[in-house]
Amino acid sequence: MTTNESKIDKGNVCDLNYLSELMGGKKHLIEEIMDVFLKQVPEELQSINDAIEKINYAAIKGVAHTMKSSVSIMGISVLTPILQEMEDLGSNGTSIEKIKELNRKLILLCNQAIEEIKIEKSKFI
Amino acid sequence: MNTKKQMDIFIVDDNKVFSLALKADIEVAFPKMLIKTHLFETGEKCMEKFIQVMPEVIILDYFLNSKYPEAADGIKVLDWIKKENFNTEIIMLTNDDSIDIALKSFHHGASDYVVKTETKFKKINYSLFNLFKTIEARSEAKTFKRLLIALSLVVAILVGGIIAIEIFIPSLFK
Repeated sequence: MTTNESKIDKGNVCDLNYLSELMGGKKHLIEEIMDVFLKQVPEELQSINDAIEKINYAAIKGVAHTMKSSVSIMGISVLTPILQEMEDLGSNGTSIEKIKELNRKLILLCNQAIEEIKIEKSKFI
Repeated sequence: MNTKKQMDIFIVDDNKVFSLALKADIEVAFPKMLIKTHLFETGEKCMEKFIQVMPEVIILDYFLNSKYPEAADGIKVLDWIKKENFNTEIIMLTNDDSIDIALKSFHHGASDYVVKTETKFKKINYSLFNLFKTIEARSEAKTFKRLLIALSLVVAILVGGIIAIEIFIPSLFK
């Protein structure tokens, strides 16, 4: 991966206003959810990678489905159509190459989101 | 809505970010209520605690197998819950706007069905608000029924006493 590829967009992918509004602005709750997200996303990306390696469409569908909820809470709307497509392809049991291509985008955007959330979290301390 | 009694709510969802956000949102939405929220990643783990806590409401996701492939789906868990306590109110959640899953949920005894769209938290809170009212009404009806039975007993004892006096000490009323 080149340095240019490591961030596909200069703008922020996360919009944490929704989360903040949802939590009534309570910083400890926002921080708690950020912590869980930062722990959960790498595990989910690993699960999708494993599922792609094993060409396990049901697992791809399941993880993509679960990730949709968390990315929507963290305001990462750019990931919703990617995950939806991965879920649909997983459900149809076809196009592993397309899934791999989507997964590359997913990893880049998730890494960018993780960095942004870490920066936001550091402002709380 | 303001009640002193603690309300136990189970959230069964394999996405911890979602469960935690929902837990916090419920606490923010019902600040005057004493609500204890318990989080579970699978239906199996939820059932281990069910008998002990006997929650009033369960918010149950249909898809529960993303982390644990062998985990039971929401409908199976719904059946287990209803078998243990038919009065537990269940809100079924899913990401799919699937009429089949919605109908299946209602046939198996779910009280409501919420699709995880952008407005999911508002919809869940609205559904909870209605369920809390139902639970409160059911509890008031139970209290009223008990009062009515107690009142009927008092009246029966009084009438019985008067009849007994009429029979055994008729001079008392003359």
